Amino acid sequence: MAERVFITGVGMITAIGDDVAGNLHSLCSQQSGLGFTSHLDTIYKTILPVAEVKYTTQQLSEMAGVAGIDGYTRTTLLGLIAVREALAQAGITDVQQEPTGFINASTVGGMCDTENVYFDIVDPEKTGDFLKFIDTLDCADCTQRIADTVGFTEHIATISTACSSSANALMYGARLIKAGLTRRVICGGTEALTRFTLNGFNSLKNIDKRPCRPFDQQRNGLNLGEGAAYLVLESESLVRENNSKVIAELSGYANTNEAFHPTSPSPEGDGAFAAMRDALAMSGHTIADVQYVNVHGTATLSNDVSEGKALQRLFGTKVPPFSSTKPFTGHTLAAAGAIEAIYSVLAIQHQLVFPNLNFTEGMEELYITPETQLKEGYPVHHVISNSFGFGGNNASLVISKYEG
Amino acid sequence: MKGKYYIQGMAAISPQHTFEGDLSVQPMVISNGNMLSCVEPDYKAFIPGNSLRRMSRILKMGLTTALRCLQDSGIETPGAIVTGTGKGSLQDTEKFIKEIRDYKETALNPTPFIQSTYNAVNGLIALQQKCTQYNNTFVHRGFSFENALLDSMLLLHEGTANVLAGAFEEITAEHFYIKSRIGQWKSEHISNDTLYKHFSPGTISGEGAAFFILGPSPTTNTYAELAGLKMLYKPSPEKLAASLQTFISHEEIDMVLTGRNADTNYDQYYQVVDQQLSGIPQLPFKHLCGEYDTAGAFALWLGAQLLKTQQLPAQWFPMLQQPPAKLRNILIYNNFFGEQHVFMLLKGI
Repeated sequence: MAERVFITGVGMITAIGDDVAGNLHSLCSQQSGLGFTSHLDTIYKTILPVAEVKYTTQQLSEMAGVAGIDGYTRTTLLGLIAVREALAQAGITDVQQEPTGFINASTVGGMCDTENVYFDIVDPEKTGDFLKFIDTLDCADCTQRIADTVGFTEHIATISTACSSSANALMYGARLIKAGLTRRVICGGTEALTRFTLNGFNSLKNIDKRPCRPFDQQRNGLNLGEGAAYLVLESESLVRENNSKVIAELSGYANTNEAFHPTSPSPEGDGAFAAMRDALAMSGHTIADVQYVNVHGTATLSNDVSEGKALQRLFGTKVPPFSSTKPFTGHTLAAAGAIEAIYSVLAIQHQLVFPNLNFTEGMEELYITPETQLKEGYPVHHVISNSFGFGGNNASLVISKYEG
Repeated sequence: MKGKYYIQGMAAISPQHTFEGDLSVQPMVISNGNMLSCVEPDYKAFIPGNSLRRMSRILKMGLTTALRCLQDSGIETPGAIVTGTGKGSLQDTEKFIKEIRDYKETALNPTPFIQSTYNAVNGLIALQQKCTQYNNTFVHRGFSFENALLDSMLLLHEGTANVLAGAFEEITAEHFYIKSRIGQWKSEHISNDTLYKHFSPGTISGEGAAFFILGPSPTTNTYAELAGLKMLYKPSPEKLAASLQTFISHEEIDMVLTGRNADTNYDQYYQVVDQQLSGIPQLPFKHLCGEYDTAGAFALWLGAQLLKTQQLPAQWFPMLQQPPAKLRNILIYNNFFGEQHVFMLLKGI
């Protein structure tokens, strides 16, 4: 029988916290990270809210322990900070002691830095410091920089399936463990705000000028965010051998495709429904066992209809408490799946359901509404976490309380 | 990981005439200059005209190769779609960056942004073939295609009936220039047929798309068995040698398809293979496709083609003095600028 996959460490940085504890504190005190950018050079500086990590890239390089070393983009630094926390939390001081894979996720690689020097790079008349950013144009740069800095030398990969990228990274890592190819793998994703993605989503008329309102009748789009999150996955046998402290189990997952439209989900949420259903089936649990759904909930017109319909189809009249945490963190694209997987772990660890901020009016298409208050002392054993993206890429994860 | 993995169908668009027809009669396409571009087919046979107009080059190339591969295998809707690309749609990325600047972030057309996302080709294939199952895209330089292959093998192992696995890459004049600034290409201008005579820093650039249908058991259409895959990240020459030894320990290798590209910066790794496998014929392929993140997919296509036809097109390989005595087990070794190293083992049926 394939091995079970356990989560033994988590690390993150977002607009609402520099680490996991900071994120939990902001979630519980209902502190949103949305505001206007201080770092991005854009005409939308004071028009489109974003959830920005409050440090400069220079400050991040100090936090990541690589100050003064060339070539680290903001994407890489955010990732490095989160990876270091995940390793520390899992009690891993030497990654070489056990062959450790690294599966990263990114949507635009080092674009945050390259977009500022791109026209110098392509201009033969110009030369200078910016040339060091040439290698950061692709998505593998951040992965390899992080790997080389912390010492990962084993299996390495970068996944890019738009907004479901890091959920797919977790899934791939879990499958490598189940197939017996590795016993330990660090999975997650990193995303920095860029003019490129801000203008991309804005050109699609997908960005709200106000803080996003997931599952609200008046919702009008998403807000972008930045951050990074990683989870340490270990096989059951390694956990037993090392007596590792398990914080939760990755008990189910599924990846489906909408095959409907390049940027829109199907109106009845076919892909979302199939992803949640299949992930739950894999976990061996039923709809009655799920106490919380951390929805994708971007607050775009089409996502929330589609995802809401899928929830109603799967759970019928017994939809468990659900919320989108995007009003806290913004939509962090490649990092979102891993950030929300950690929030799911926190919900189980601390018996919480996080509130869906900015909700006032139910959607006319749905009979369900999100959780608007922090639920404390709520018995959360199994959580579904959803990530859906462009290209019809859907991913659902089931995270379960560790019962031994 | 136990299991058998067979190539049941395939297709490739490359700088050579690989898309259709009898390979043995196709002449080698010779390009002057260090940037090889694909010989592109007429896409109208695969994609309706109104869709075609909206699609950028790599989307057309990727989608068409995937559709041709499905045709070749006789499968309409695969059980999963997994791809690798190091750079995705460069043309769209460049276009959107420029439009942001030129139009000062206002009134932008979203199409290049949508098409610049790395999973756009996968989404299109799924949409076109109504494939609602597993769908994934890897974007890791010289491991992009190889992770897609590994993912496909995992899927077959887990019970998926068949997987469409592929890779796509394009080079643009602008990106060629960018990478020339960090010395990836030779400073002297050469033509691809003379690549191995120019042993100097840098190589020639290329591009291409290749797709495969992988299944768990052989059929009458099977090209070859993918019998092994190993990725090594930044290994030392010693580690590379030891891994190669383990990889082929019980196998008799008839021929090596080598990614050797006349780049003196990284030739030491190819020398490791020379030493370990001296006496075994080696066939280079980069003079045909150029260097790019997913050139390994071209090598797999070429190896599977050679195994099925049991023929080496002599006009493509003028350097080959002594053809191998038999063609049953082919080892592919490739590395991407010394960082990502890959071994693949292909077996004839």
